[in-house]
Amino acid sequence: MDDIRFAERDLCVTEAKIAARDVQVHYGTNHALKDVNVDILEQTVTAFIGPSGCGKSTFLRCLNRMNDTIPGCRIEGRLTLDGQDIYDPRVDPVQLRAKVGMVFQKPNPFPKSIYDNVAYGPRIHGLTRNKAELDEIVEKSLRRAALWEEAKDRLASPGTGLSGGQQQRLCIARAIATSPEVLLMDEPCSALDPIATAQIEELIDELRAQFSVVIVTHSMQQAARVSQRTAFFHLGRLVEYGETGQIFTNPHDPRTESYISGRIG
Amino acid sequence: MSIGILVLAVLILAAAGFVLGRQRALATAGGDPRRLHSLPGHYGQFTAILAAVPALVLLAIWLLAQPLAIESRIAPMLTADSPADRSLAMADVRRISIGLDLLAVSDRLSEDAVASLSSETLAPRLRQVGTAVTQVTPEALSAAKAHRTMRHTLQIWMTAAVGLTAATCFVFALLRIRPDFRARNVSERFVMWLLIAASLVAVATTAGIVLSLVSETLHFFRIYPAREFFLSLTWNPQFRGGSDLGIWPLLWGTVYISIIALIVAVPIGLLTAVYLSEYASRRTRGWAKPAIEILAGIPTIVYGLFALITVGPALRDWFAQPLGLGASSSSVMTAGLVMGIMLIPFVSSLSDDIINAVPQSLRDGSYGLGATQSETVKLVILPAALPGIVGAVLLAASRAIGETMIVVLGAGAAAKLSLNPFEAMTTVTVKIVSQLTGDTEFASPETLVAFALGLTLFVMTLVLNVLALYIVRKYREQYE
Ligand SMILES: Nc1ncnc2c1ncn2[C@@H]1O[C@H](COP(=O)(O)OP(=O)(O)OP(=O)(O)O)[C@@H](O)[C@H]1O
Ligand SMILES: [Mg+2]
Repeated sequence: MDDIRFAERDLCVTEAKIAARDVQVHYGTNHALKDVNVDILEQTVTAFIGPSGCGKSTFLRCLNRMNDTIPGCRIEGRLTLDGQDIYDPRVDPVQLRAKVGMVFQKPNPFPKSIYDNVAYGPRIHGLTRNKAELDEIVEKSLRRAALWEEAKDRLASPGTGLSGGQQQRLCIARAIATSPEVLLMDEPCSALDPIATAQIEELIDELRAQFSVVIVTHSMQQAARVSQRTAFFHLGRLVEYGETGQIFTNPHDPRTESYISGRIG
Repeated sequence: MSIGILVLAVLILAAAGFVLGRQRALATAGGDPRRLHSLPGHYGQFTAILAAVPALVLLAIWLLAQPLAIESRIAPMLTADSPADRSLAMADVRRISIGLDLLAVSDRLSEDAVASLSSETLAPRLRQVGTAVTQVTPEALSAAKAHRTMRHTLQIWMTAAVGLTAATCFVFALLRIRPDFRARNVSERFVMWLLIAASLVAVATTAGIVLSLVSETLHFFRIYPAREFFLSLTWNPQFRGGSDLGIWPLLWGTVYISIIALIVAVPIGLLTAVYLSEYASRRTRGWAKPAIEILAGIPTIVYGLFALITVGPALRDWFAQPLGLGASSSSVMTAGLVMGIMLIPFVSSLSDDIINAVPQSLRDGSYGLGATQSETVKLVILPAALPGIVGAVLLAASRAIGETMIVVLGAGAAAKLSLNPFEAMTTVTVKIVSQLTGDTEFASPETLVAFALGLTLFVMTLVLNVLALYIVRKYREQYE
């Protein structure tokens, strides 16, 4: 573990942005998440790690109610955003998702032009008053997602025509264009080369100034590099949650230790 | 031996071939199937195929060729002035010849007795055994006797030839079986040829339809000027010739009614599809989708009755007469509305399939950005599904163009060029029916025009279908 470089851990904030209490998720008869308790902090990058199928994506989807679209999915327990219950019937999931943005595990650009993909969110939320402002948001988002140089000459060509890694960055640009308060990223670098990965990690670090970021990753190095907090999931349970440095150097739970050192997963 | 029994015998031989081929293959391999190139069953199939296929092909060819051969020998025995007379006389001979067979069985006549039958008293006796002949001339009788003898001789030869072929090939197949013989390849190739033959039936039928349409159309244009047909604005067929057969009033009626039908069917069908695939709960969808598809199962004649009895009078009383637009209950509007209703399930179930094919990840992407359901439908799902929906609409259009029954009962049969939707009009299909079922002679332009109309219709729907297929195919490539 000595070769892992850690992010500076200047945690000035300890306020919880999102709090989860005893969250249970069932897909039909499959009990996918059990008793998850976690506080996701403001202006912090939180990494979710754990073996495949342990429920990382499932938990991520609970945070912006994307599970509502899955038939047969039931959620119990209490989840709050800024103290407000996310699953309260008075909460409008549409507004919630505007505040809690998401980058999906599989890139899913719309079959529209690159420009329209990025402009989609700002347009539906009426974030801009004129074309110039929209252009600016599109350019800024693409730059931050490290796609501008490749895409600036082909903004009008379809987003589905990009390579897998470019599509992934397009989806990141699309998500940050709406300036959410929380950004959920499900393996955002799974198809990226090391240079683009480094750029995205830089972006994540930069986003931390304004947003909370939750990132699911299978790369221990990445979790260590970008996050201040790490949660380790195993078989539907949150096994350990704490400061990233502590999780990687001095885990309390033996399962965490064996996962990090490569013995389970 | 009758043909049915012959075929049965060949098939029994093939079945025996399957069993024997299998056993022999196992025997040559010393009972160890792993030493065989193919599975034991393949050797069985190989023997069965060889026993049955050549023999049955020979039988089919023989059955096609035999009447031609016999009739070319009989023809000189008949005196006839024209080819039409000759074919009538030949048909008589054929009937009498079959009748003689029946008579021989029912009256237990010996061959000599049949040969000595005379023509005077024969007709009533033939009628008794169910043969429709009015009179039997001596010439026809002698030709029929010759016809009958030739038939019988050839039948014996045929049985022999088919039986011999089956047996030879059967033995040949058994002798070929050896452990390293590639029986699987033979049976695979046979399957391939079977599939090719099956698809050739459809292709050949289409080609046959087009060819017959084209040849009759050319015939029509030889007796009626093509210029008139394509450029004249009046449709006025006369029984005694001198008709005006301009296609435009009919084409206009077809297009006008189809457009109204699509204006009804496309929005309703599309919105239904969006509701069913995006908004409806699984339960609602479970009963609503079949309920809508019942509409598609109603025969068009029933829709026609609905147009004639309900929609037509209602439109006349509530719209046409108060607005002073006409007093006819048959109108373009009636037919268009009812045809539109008929097309709703067609549009909705095709569009529903297409909308469902839009990947869930696109919906997730849109919802994840905080879009509402209707924004997602409008901005992501419909644009993604658009090419497929256009294809569905074009397919619906080609059905509208080909529809006949609703138009006959809903829009009437008057060929007119008018913009008034409450006026009776008619379409190409209706006129095809009425021209072909009229009393005029077949070779007159009034009848033959039906083929030119049919070909026009065929070309129109073909273009629409090709366009639809092209668009649908382009759409499929998007998510690969
Ligand atoms: N849409 C769904 N319907 C039914 N079961 C699901 C669904 N999505 C996930 N599951 C189940 O929930 C469990 C957790 O899945 P999840 O996708 O959250 O895993 P994950 O930790 O994200 O894995 P990976 O690292 O492979 O992405 C799995 O057992 C999976 O089978
Ligand atoms: Mg996942």
